[in-house]
Amino acid sequence: MDLLATVPLSWYLILGAALFCIGVYGVLANRNLIVIMMAIELMLNAVVLNLAAFARFMEPARIQGKAFAIVTYATAAAEAALGLALIISIWRTENTVAVEEIDLLKG
Amino acid sequence: MSLSVVLFLVFAVLAIGAAIRVVFCHRIFHGAMWLIVSFFGVAAIYMLLESPFLAGIQLFIYIGGVAVLTVIAIMVTKRVMAPNQRTLNDPVSAGIVALALFGVMVWMILSLPLPMAPTAPVIEGGLELLGAALVDPQGFLLPFEVVSVMMLVVLVASLYLGRER
Repeated sequence: MDLLATVPLSWYLILGAALFCIGVYGVLANRNLIVIMMAIELMLNAVVLNLAAFARFMEPARIQGKAFAIVTYATAAAEAALGLALIISIWRTENTVAVEEIDLLKG
Repeated sequence: MSLSVVLFLVFAVLAIGAAIRVVFCHRIFHGAMWLIVSFFGVAAIYMLLESPFLAGIQLFIYIGGVAVLTVIAIMVTKRVMAPNQRTLNDPVSAGIVALALFGVMVWMILSLPLPMAPTAPVIEGGLELLGAALVDPQGFLLPFEVVSVMMLVVLVASLYLGRER
């Protein structure tokens, strides 16, 4: 029995879109920098899900989609490490992680 | 409903529900735990897509790396935001933007001629082909090396930003 035959590609894409939009909401609505970072991770995760779904459905060898997915994973991990280092650095100097209180670059 | 549809719906609801709990969390540590649940749901979806390698990477990098880093950051910056403090900033307009984006995306997805089933069965040895393509100059050698340099830059930059001064 082919496990995949009954779930169409559009369902995976809609799941990715839902996760991405939840991430967009989290970025726009939250005040805490760490929650914003988590929402960005959700958005990147949705992007990789789309790449994996397209790789499975659209190309027989499944190389290109997965290669893009791996590069996106590396970028996401780097973004998380750098973003959290920035948050800790801001917390050390400003003693806050609320976005509207961080206005160092305001003229 | 076949087994795959049931499994897809279960893990999709798990991933989406956990993601909603992340962005609406009042205690940020609970949000990090729900983030791990959401990542796990997406890893299960990768297994349904017959990509066990991606599912493994998802567990290693996202749950083992990103989520643990987030928990460490929460612990380092703890008690900066009290649990009963206002956590959301203008949630109504943010919700309108997110819902409108979701509506446009679903409309676009449903209006495209997307395949109902994969065009070809899974081939054996796909992982070896993927590894060869990542170091093939005709393939993905350039993005692979660019990402390597980027990881080194990020490593140095994170150490510089996170050091005691």
